[in-house]
Amino acid sequence: MNVQSRSSRLITVEQLNRDWVACPYCDEVWARPDLSEGERARCGNCHSIFFVKKTRSAERTIALMIAALILFITAVSFPFMRMEKSGLSNEISVLDAVSILWTNDMHLVALLCAGFILFFPMARILLLLFIGISLLGKGETGRPHAWSFRLAQFIEPWTMAEIFMVGVIVSLVKVGKLADITLGPAFWSMTGLMIVLTVGGQTICKDTVWHNIRGQR
Amino acid sequence: MTTTRDLGWARCRTCGTLTDRPGEKCLVCGASTEVRKPQSLQYVWAFWFAGVLAYIPGNLLPIMVTDSVAGTSPSTIIGGVISLAHHGSYVIAAVIFIASIAVPVSKFAIIAWLALSIQMRWKLSTHRRHMAHEVIEFIGRWSMIDVFVVAALAALIQVGGLMAISPGIGLDAFALSVIFTMLSANSLDPRMIWDASRPREGEHAAT
Repeated sequence: MNVQSRSSRLITVEQLNRDWVACPYCDEVWARPDLSEGERARCGNCHSIFFVKKTRSAERTIALMIAALILFITAVSFPFMRMEKSGLSNEISVLDAVSILWTNDMHLVALLCAGFILFFPMARILLLLFIGISLLGKGETGRPHAWSFRLAQFIEPWTMAEIFMVGVIVSLVKVGKLADITLGPAFWSMTGLMIVLTVGGQTICKDTVWHNIRGQR
Repeated sequence: MTTTRDLGWARCRTCGTLTDRPGEKCLVCGASTEVRKPQSLQYVWAFWFAGVLAYIPGNLLPIMVTDSVAGTSPSTIIGGVISLAHHGSYVIAAVIFIASIAVPVSKFAIIAWLALSIQMRWKLSTHRRHMAHEVIEFIGRWSMIDVFVVAALAALIQVGGLMAISPGIGLDAFALSVIFTMLSANSLDPRMIWDASRPREGEHAAT
């Protein structure tokens, strides 16, 4: 009796999760709401939205992440801004903003910025694309999917493309009076990327992803 | 009014899966499942102190050094805000002031208030504290603006011998402060805010 086999254990947990959900904020247990696409459930105790089913989550996520991938590649490969003053000019790319920190011996901030505006956004795009495609394909989901989505969730707050853009706009205002600034293609790609990533981060339906991973294990 | 704790279950913080065996690894995502994040408040306070400590040099030391024909002039965060306001860019000055000073300072205060209210079992509005936690988790990242401003300025302003901007050591401290504060807010398990408003486990079983 005390020694449960792994298979009977799995059935228990499956049943538990088929019938019940708990609010992440206040821990209240509720019968699993049967939502249609676009509906969301509010916790009766703390009034947070604790369970959602987003509309066409997989399709929208894939579309936005493909757009994000293209914008990301153009944002890092084209010139970002060009500055001119008294006949001298200086053209920078997104990578320059990171490397200037590194060459000034600000290694820590350089690495952080590289993570926040290059590696984490890139990783998140690829991970969400992978998850979106596997949701759409309705194929086997398993360990790789669980770990990918876990990682995508973990890096979410550390993806700061939109904050970087606001920082750039502030710096433009500061420089505007000193020199002539021309915006390059990468500036507009980065602006687009900021919008696509913000929207794309919202279209992926966490509850559905985890439910799928759970259902097929 | 039933929580997963009352039932002897736990909800995985990563994937939301319920388990009837708290403490074991989540069968779905592999994270460790626990009724409440263990030592949550210890982590909150540790990161909080690290954040406050890093915030001091972040504000006192220059985050940016401007080299021009007029000489070398270091500038701090508040110095940058004042010079922006001085030049008439009030909106931008306000953005920087809010992101680099108002938000971090109020975040320190709110996290300390939340942690103390849980520790001391203060009888305060649970909804208000829950909202406060949501807000600080959302706005904390925006304090990084100043770091990116300096990075962009330093990259852009490299005009031969005329003028150059380089990042200052205060920027390291400031960036660390923002990160520690984000980690501090994230370490606070919001379920603890609600626990005090409920009858304890034993009492619950009796009712």
